[in-house]
Amino acid sequence: MEAAAEVFSYAYQYFDNIGFLILSASGLIIIFGMMGVINMAHGELMMIGAYITAFSYHAGVPAPIAVIFAGIGAGVAGMILERLVIRHFYKQLLSSLVVTWGLSLMISQGFLLVFGPTILNVPTPFGNFPVSGQTFGIYRLVLFGSALAIVATVWAVFTFTKFGTHARATMEDPDMADALGVNTRNIYVLTFGIGAAMGGIAGGMFALTATISPFFGINYTPLAFITVVVGGGANVITGLLSSVMALAGVQTAVNNLVNVYVGYVAMMGAAFFILLLLPRGISEYLERRKIRTERNGRGATA
Amino acid sequence: MAQRHSVLDRYLGPLNGPHTMGRGVAFWVGFVIVVAVLASFPEYMRRYDIINLSNFLISGFLALSLSLLWGYCGVLSLGQAAFHGIGGYAYGIVALNLFNAHGNTDLAFFAGVAIPVIFAAIIGGIMFFARLRGVYIAILMLVVSLLIGTFMRQTADPSYTIGAAYLGGMNGLRPASVEDPLLPSLIFGWGETVIELDGRRPAFFYFVLGLLVAVYLGLRCLVNSSYGYWLVGCREDPNRTETFGYDVRLIQLGVFCIAAAIAGLSGVLYTAWGTYIHPDGFGVAPNILVVIWVAVGGRKDLGAAIAGAIVLEWVSLRLAAEGEIAFLVLGAILVGVMLIAPNGLGITIGDYIRRGHDRAIAWVRAR
Repeated sequence: MEAAAEVFSYAYQYFDNIGFLILSASGLIIIFGMMGVINMAHGELMMIGAYITAFSYHAGVPAPIAVIFAGIGAGVAGMILERLVIRHFYKQLLSSLVVTWGLSLMISQGFLLVFGPTILNVPTPFGNFPVSGQTFGIYRLVLFGSALAIVATVWAVFTFTKFGTHARATMEDPDMADALGVNTRNIYVLTFGIGAAMGGIAGGMFALTATISPFFGINYTPLAFITVVVGGGANVITGLLSSVMALAGVQTAVNNLVNVYVGYVAMMGAAFFILLLLPRGISEYLERRKIRTERNGRGATA
Repeated sequence: MAQRHSVLDRYLGPLNGPHTMGRGVAFWVGFVIVVAVLASFPEYMRRYDIINLSNFLISGFLALSLSLLWGYCGVLSLGQAAFHGIGGYAYGIVALNLFNAHGNTDLAFFAGVAIPVIFAAIIGGIMFFARLRGVYIAILMLVVSLLIGTFMRQTADPSYTIGAAYLGGMNGLRPASVEDPLLPSLIFGWGETVIELDGRRPAFFYFVLGLLVAVYLGLRCLVNSSYGYWLVGCREDPNRTETFGYDVRLIQLGVFCIAAAIAGLSGVLYTAWGTYIHPDGFGVAPNILVVIWVAVGGRKDLGAAIAGAIVLEWVSLRLAAEGEIAFLVLGAILVGVMLIAPNGLGITIGDYIRRGHDRAIAWVRAR
């Protein structure tokens, strides 16, 4: 019975870490994978979502709706940023990095000025459940489930809808898509907005477990970035899933063996190591292997 | 006309070239005037201002290092302040341990430059030889800096001592016990001669100014030599540079190490200036500041980067008096400059001046 509880505890932490990484990275991966811009202000969009959630919750809005508000608010903020600043920096990777870092500084410092350094709190909903003496929060499982639901929704939107087809065409070849009558300007705004909204939703959901301050977002951006680059850009969904499974595995194991700081360092170390072996990320490697086996298969039949 | 240029070329030839702004008589006269004005400050400015100005000049080194790395070689590092911090800690730890025995900080000064270079060689070697993409390097360096900072912050436990140096967590580096010496400022010893440079005195200011001018002129020679062409080649088109037979990875690694040495030097000077080094130097704020100075001043020119650092440090000091708006304003300046003058204000202004100068000469000739 003890062993079973131990196994459950590990699995619980593993899925918790996976959910956490997916939520942190999902908005960033849309923006990086589809638009080639690394948004250093992603953590600040999450922070905006967290603030909206906290304020709406304290104004009496139920938590799930507060999180949706967060998504809408961050999405609108993202679209404004895209129109005002970021659209000038497509295809300039390093400059976009620097300018979005400047935006992140402005947003976090602006919030510090307006709301002060006070920390907001929202109680974690749903309570706990016991497994052979230990208690586990139900909300963590909700986080994991929502993370998967978000990934599935995004995949469906970009695969089955007309907007998704147009978006993928625009990312593939903007001039050609434009010539075929796609309004590429709107596609860029909307895609950036969706990425920002996902960041806002993630921030809103984390707001229910973490304390909220103007520097809420600072720690998420590097983490999300690491997850994204380990996954690679060849296939957004498989990249994200394989990357979070690997990184969360390392983090969970080392967290339990040593401590949380070493677990964090070990996860960064693992990311570094994976990048050295597969400089273009896991999904690129999987994609190449798939192409190779397909080619070999065709060669055998011919 | 030809006569005057040959005199310039004979004495300043290695300093002038296509990779730095300003190569005419006017520029060099202006340069001498600026340095002379800076050098005369201790004569009539308050001591408090001189202490601050010393710190601004120390920031100038950090700006130089990122300008060389990002502006010339195209390798952006968002964690350049990490080398500043490593240099500062290395200086402090060695100085605390050897000061009683040696009576000077010669070895500590050397260690503060050498240890960042060793660190850069290891981490840069791994990154460049794995051919990581530029964006990844930029953010990985930030992550490295944040990780070192997180580690240093939790070293408050008394077991974190290196000889006579206690890392001290958030309180910064300090002596391990009461018998150990305090963190010294720069003291150079050569045989019997001992030169002490206290960070609060004009002598330290002159030393930093002289060193900054020397490093600036040295780097001008470097970027206008054939090595400078390799750097710019790596920035403009790494594949083509590789095709021509240059090893891009080695060039990038070399410049990464040089930049680390200069950043380490700034860390040494900073620690000696305040006799103080603490883990906040590894955080997001100092790293983003370096990028702001260089991007706003002009990354593709060494002098513009230094000017950016000094002016913006002065602006932040001024704004600090107005409350906590300094970072908000600096962020706005960065975004604004990136939109209006993507190459940086210094370079844009420099281009205007040169165009005006050329036009004036053409007008005089036409007469």
